[in-house]
Amino acid sequence: MNPCKEVVVVVPCSGIGKPFGTVSREAAYDLCEELRPESTRLVAMAKLVLGEPGARDLVAKHPAVTIDGCKQMCAAKMVKQSGGKVAHEVAVLDVFRRHKELKPEGIAELNEGGRKLARVLAEEVAESLNATGPPVKGASHV
Amino acid sequence: MPQYLEMTADKFTFRVATDRLYTAQGVWILPEPGSTRVRVGLADYLQQHNGDVAFANVKPVGTKLAAGNQFAEIETIKAMVDLHAPVGGTIVEVNGALDTAPEAINQAPYEAGWLALIEPAAWDADRSKLLGPAAYFPVMQAQVQEELKNL
Repeated sequence: MNPCKEVVVVVPCSGIGKPFGTVSREAAYDLCEELRPESTRLVAMAKLVLGEPGARDLVAKHPAVTIDGCKQMCAAKMVKQSGGKVAHEVAVLDVFRRHKELKPEGIAELNEGGRKLARVLAEEVAESLNATGPPVKGASHV
Repeated sequence: MPQYLEMTADKFTFRVATDRLYTAQGVWILPEPGSTRVRVGLADYLQQHNGDVAFANVKPVGTKLAAGNQFAEIETIKAMVDLHAPVGGTIVEVNGALDTAPEAINQAPYEAGWLALIEPAAWDADRSKLLGPAAYFPVMQAQVQEELKNL
């Protein structure tokens, strides 16, 4: 059972061409399709860039968890620019620093380290959504 | 606060601090005021070119180096970068703050992101092989232009 009561939107970055960007998207898939399908909605950052009404509506109505591949934090910036509230910003790099053994490589297809890193990240975010719903902005990063 | 030479290419601005010396690779060397020691770090272009730093591993205090020896290894989201000593000598201090906050290399490459303090063995001889900021700036510009051609 998913104890998280409030729906959150999950917005990964679109760091095409970089392993860390791929990790962000794989983690988002893991989170939204396997770990917390009932309480999350995956939103492609590209739809926010294009101003797609459905995506903007979701972001406006629900707190967002952003997962960025690098410290440019494009996903977090895009959510804010779209009028949404970022409840939790996650940077893949921060998670990698705690799991040096999980070095992501590959772009179209991640290596095993990258897959595991994505999973660890997704599980940490899922855990943070437990019980009390999405963490408030300013809470410690995953 | 140092002054800078600057160039902008596409959406990126690259700065060269004018108060120090450089290698063509993009390692800066700043003589410590009132000391025989030099502080070393990554130039702005080198850190931007390689992206966010995940880990910075500098050889430990006491390591003796010949000019050109590897003295540090930086792991970024794009690459592993070997850094070579701009001068021969002994590492006398390592920036321990980088263990927990390696992003300082990206955020403040000419200040908090320094890598090591070296006691040079032959500073006068090594110094003559380094580039002043005005000489390094066109080297950096050429590296930027080369990178733009490959995009």
